[in-house]
Amino acid sequence: MGVTVLQPYSVPEGQTGPQTIEFLAKRLLALGAVQASTFIVDCETFIPNPQHGTPKTVHVLHNSEYPASTFAVLDTGTKQVPLVADALFDLLMLKMAPAHTSKKQTKIESKGARFEYGDFLIKLGSVTMAENFKGILLEVEYRPCVIPSNCWELIRELLQGFLGVSIPATIPPYFNTPSIMSMNHPKSSEIFNPNHTKQNDVYQPMDTINQYLEHFGNFRKQTMLSGGTGIGAPLRS
Amino acid sequence: MSTLSGPISTAKDALSQAVQSHIIPNQEYLLQGSILDSSVEHLLHRLKGLCDNVDTGPEPFHDHEVCMSLRTPNQMALQLRVRRSLDCDAPHQLRYIGQAELGDRSRPTLVRSSIDVACTSTVMDFLTELGCRVDFEYTNRGYMFRKGRMKITVSKIFKTGSNKPGEMGPEPISQSYLVELSVLAPTGQDAIGEEMRAFAEQLRPLVQLDKIDYKRLG
Amino acid sequence: MDSLNNALSAIKNLRSSVGHVFEVLANGVQAHHGDDGRDSKFLVQFQELFNNVNLNLREVESVINGLTPPPAPFNLGHTAALAQETTDERQALYSQLVNSYKWVDKIHEYSFLANNILNCNSLRRSYISYSNKRGRLQISSCNNTSPQHVDKVLNELSLNSLQTNYKIWRPFGSNAVVIVNIGRILKAAIVFKGVMIEWVTVKGFDESLDVDDLWTESRYEVFRKVQEQTHSAMLHFFSPTLPDLAVKSYMTWIHSYNKLFTEPCRRCGKYLYNALPPTWRDLRTLEPFHEECKNC
Repeated sequence: MGVTVLQPYSVPEGQTGPQTIEFLAKRLLALGAVQASTFIVDCETFIPNPQHGTPKTVHVLHNSEYPASTFAVLDTGTKQVPLVADALFDLLMLKMAPAHTSKKQTKIESKGARFEYGDFLIKLGSVTMAENFKGILLEVEYRPCVIPSNCWELIRELLQGFLGVSIPATIPPYFNTPSIMSMNHPKSSEIFNPNHTKQNDVYQPMDTINQYLEHFGNFRKQTMLSGGTGIGAPLRS
Repeated sequence: MSTLSGPISTAKDALSQAVQSHIIPNQEYLLQGSILDSSVEHLLHRLKGLCDNVDTGPEPFHDHEVCMSLRTPNQMALQLRVRRSLDCDAPHQLRYIGQAELGDRSRPTLVRSSIDVACTSTVMDFLTELGCRVDFEYTNRGYMFRKGRMKITVSKIFKTGSNKPGEMGPEPISQSYLVELSVLAPTGQDAIGEEMRAFAEQLRPLVQLDKIDYKRLG
Repeated sequence: MDSLNNALSAIKNLRSSVGHVFEVLANGVQAHHGDDGRDSKFLVQFQELFNNVNLNLREVESVINGLTPPPAPFNLGHTAALAQETTDERQALYSQLVNSYKWVDKIHEYSFLANNILNCNSLRRSYISYSNKRGRLQISSCNNTSPQHVDKVLNELSLNSLQTNYKIWRPFGSNAVVIVNIGRILKAAIVFKGVMIEWVTVKGFDESLDVDDLWTESRYEVFRKVQEQTHSAMLHFFSPTLPDLAVKSYMTWIHSYNKLFTEPCRRCGKYLYNALPPTWRDLRTLEPFHEECKNC
């Protein structure tokens, strides 16, 4: 388990998504990376039935990197409660189905090839929502390191190297949120330090999920804004 | 990118496949009974001799269990239990238990559907935010034995959070121990019931394990 | 040779029989000859013995006649030298002695020089050091020290650093194994023999490293590389005369890995080279370098 950073990549003008992905894959192979199977991260969102009080949505995500786990995030609007559980949680979710229904048209996933380059793990994901291509999301994981702030520069250099674009020097905003991973160190004094952000915390698989959720949210918003044609639009990182 | 042309199977696909091929243990076969504190030593000795963990001895446990329900209008309440270990660092256990089926006299054990999920400690927060309300909670402490697929627990149930001042430790709910014999198995493996009945027969002189009908108790 | 032996034993027989004759004559007439006619009896005995002597004499003569004169003088080995001259003036010993003395002197000189040269090079694993002073007993042995001393050295180390923590184990009797956590970057198991570092295993922060399994390599390439570097530094820092200082400077050096992922290479200015961060730390300045950059 290492640190993972997600990076959206906008499809250049006049090119299709698959073309761009193939182009990036060729670059990775030229760099010396080796393809090692495929990956998929999917997200399904359950919303409560309208007669059911406050709007609390539940996002259920799966990551093929952690095949035995199901990740769930409960969004109350003010706070998010994460939950990591066995894969059987999906069955339990079905039991709760009367109270929550899945919005099929918002089911979103990112899938594609998975590359190994030294200790790096690079995934070229094409994001699809209800079978429509939405954009490209790159995942870069540096496996030996567990603290995001320690290896951000490494990951940034790698991204710049093979994407050929300039990446902002600051760590993605997700890592600047105050740390809430108190569940693992309930007694640690670090938790009470307001300056202590996620970038100085030990990275958890849940952080990958949260990042995916954030980016999936962006893709969905984009779809709503541009009326379903989000392809090629410049993306905010 | 030839490798991309094939479909990438999702976790959902894998799960539904597992459900279809009946490999998910979602049925609990259960027999229950109780034994007075004064005689529990005899039962423990007998179980030590009968069960698999002869060399290691019985496994002690000390758990805290919270029973919650999710109520929806026009629907039966969904009951969920969260269990966590108080004596060792283990994932929390989220459990759904369905309606118990007693069946007729020919059926050897009580059968109820059950989904057992290990999860992180955020589960209590998660369920509370989801709208679950706590029905009751308790702690139980005792020993666990194994015999093949069967699990035998001998445990004492304590009230939580109701300590009278000056009293040491939590207050036990009764003067006896709860004895449970259970197996978690995939659907359609009813043969295990007979095995359980045979084992219960071995304990007959000390404890009578039976199908307990909660509705009749209420 | 057999005939010679026969001749020698025949002579021995002759001598003993002659000796017997003289013995009997010296004793004179004895009591066992009886009272009457004892002179004649004595005479008979003497005659008998004398005949015996004659017989033996004849035998010696016949055996000697049978001997062939040896073709060459016998090789007598060192005994031949008995007859030689032994005075100093006649021997050539003196010049030889002078020569061998010169050689011994040269050997001394060269070994002294060699010792000096080897002393400049610290890549030695043995703790024996030669010196001009004789009878020096205080060789500071670094692989046979008391466990208390090792504990003391290591405790001093753990007091000095905040980010690094040390755990000391003694799984194999008195020799210590120290598990070092450097920040939240890496774990290292350092196996000591006395105060001498014998082995280092480096693993990632999220990998398990316990005393039962000190020899499995890290699953990450970067830590396998760092382990190689720690081994070469282990040889560099080894000092038989100041073992405590050697351990301390080694620990200072290894502690510089707490910035393994956060410092770019001092030469090329980049973080990555072949997908690896700078894994080498300069032994004096502790500056980071890629393995490929350190020698250019």
